[in-house]
Amino acid sequence: MRVLNKPLVILTVITILFSSAIGCKKETNYIYEVEDVQVTKDQSEKTVSKTMVEFISIAYADVFGLTISQNDLGILSLLYLAFGDKVLIEDVLVKNMLNSTEANLPSDAEMRSNIGLYVKNTYLKLYNREPNELESFTLNKKISDNLEMTSAMVYYAMMTSNEYRFY
Amino acid sequence: MSNYIPRRSFLKKTAMAAAATVAAPYILPTGRLFAASGNRIANHVVFCMFAGGVRNIESVLQGRGNLMPGTFIGSAGIDPSIAPGIQPLPLPMGQTLQAQATLFKQFRYAQGPTGHFNGHSTALTGNYTLQDLSIKEPPRNPTVFEYYRKHSDPIQNALNAWWISNALGPYPSLNFSTYPGYGALYGANFMQPATLISELGANALSNPKAFSQAQMQSVNDLRSFFNESFSRSATQDGGSILNENSDKDLIQSFLQSTFDTALAGGLNDPWNVGQQFMNDDMFNVSAAERIIQQFKPELLVVNMQGVDICHSNYTQYCNNLRKADYAVSHLWQTIQNTPGMANDTILIVAPEHGRNLQPNTISDNYGQLALDHTSDNTSREIFCMVVGPPDKVQQNQVINTVTGESIDIVPTIAHILGFKDAIPGGMLPGRVLNEAFV
Repeated sequence: MRVLNKPLVILTVITILFSSAIGCKKETNYIYEVEDVQVTKDQSEKTVSKTMVEFISIAYADVFGLTISQNDLGILSLLYLAFGDKVLIEDVLVKNMLNSTEANLPSDAEMRSNIGLYVKNTYLKLYNREPNELESFTLNKKISDNLEMTSAMVYYAMMTSNEYRFY
Repeated sequence: MSNYIPRRSFLKKTAMAAAATVAAPYILPTGRLFAASGNRIANHVVFCMFAGGVRNIESVLQGRGNLMPGTFIGSAGIDPSIAPGIQPLPLPMGQTLQAQATLFKQFRYAQGPTGHFNGHSTALTGNYTLQDLSIKEPPRNPTVFEYYRKHSDPIQNALNAWWISNALGPYPSLNFSTYPGYGALYGANFMQPATLISELGANALSNPKAFSQAQMQSVNDLRSFFNESFSRSATQDGGSILNENSDKDLIQSFLQSTFDTALAGGLNDPWNVGQQFMNDDMFNVSAAERIIQQFKPELLVVNMQGVDICHSNYTQYCNNLRKADYAVSHLWQTIQNTPGMANDTILIVAPEHGRNLQPNTISDNYGQLALDHTSDNTSREIFCMVVGPPDKVQQNQVINTVTGESIDIVPTIAHILGFKDAIPGGMLPGRVLNEAFV
């Protein structure tokens, strides 16, 4: 008959008991609360020039708040192709969109009622990013200091700037 | 006491003075600045591509009568078998172009497929398209516009170079190439009037938001602020030509005025020939005339392609030849009536290629069989006419032997505008059509 090693048995029992104590511990549910964050592209990462179709579609959506119809996109694309200086024709196109009675921009009163919010929202809408502190401060000041500045002027300047042509 | 000049100093000063005399530009009485090596024959060139595929048989050889009375001397009446299909346009005013020109009667589109885009590309780059030609990309070789803008002294801005096309498709890409060191930076302004100056164009582009001068100043200030914080520029990818800001304003005003005129009906029959006679070619040339009158460009290329209806309708081809003839005559009249361009412009007229000798099987209402262009010998036979003032161009000269080819047009334009010698060797295989000049 085999004789058990008493100290070894005791050690084994202790180990089993300890292990089961750990194994039976009730699981804790950790909940990591993360705020919703809008993912935007830093301006330094914008290296791709918008194509003609992208520029027209995005500009249309930004001004009218609607997706452009295939028919209108087709017409505007042809007109875009029919002139060689793309920056110039984009300028003309944007000015015509801004002059439409269906343009859906924040009003001048809305802009002036909360310039900080207007600046933030306009950067998000047109540049797909938040302004940095300097940009926010400067644009805020330019609007505050110049009572002739309209929302359409801000949109026009941003939509014909270099950053607007890239993503 | 004599003024002693050390020999070394004397030699140095003399050499510098001599070098300055050779290298420094001359200021001519007109105020124009020329590099000494870039003497010009004229200060403006208009190249009219009488395109769409024109056979010598119906043009210079007048095989169906003189269908082009504004261009060619000749009193032969229109062939009675097609005459009922030719619309009664008024006769062009003034002398025929031929009387004021050197006519290369046996010009050649010598190599490459006789396709319209191949022909255009060859005429505008001075190189035949012997390799595959992508219609989705700009030409591989520099265009005449890029040579002109890059190698003129001083460098010319885009407002001086225009490409006016009757069609979209691949044609917008002919205003600059992908050739390293050239490209969009030296490209021409491009316009396709039939699309841009249309009802659709007017609806979308003729009613821009108006800003006062003070407001525009604020907008420009804002835009500068936005651009300062973004390192890339709009044209960095080379996808578009770029006008100077001041030129942009001029062009926008021009477009606006053109839209206004069009909306008022002023472009329906700009030449008072009867609206029913106006076709796309005439409309395209009339748009080119507006640019000539507005900007007096040094280099403008305009094309016509209405004659390509010949694939299915021979008589209509002849009718459109007649209209294109009227258009090019009117173009020359406009040049001569435009101060700054009159007597200082050379007009070059040439088809991009011809058409086949043998017809296809499509018959029109007058029993005439249609013609394609599939690179037979006849489709390589074209004409070229160099029209200009008597002190610059040999008048009423006809060269009847096989002389000159399509690739000679770019070097000839470069020669007229004084930048031929500045183009690096080996880029242009053609030669200057010296026979045309006084």
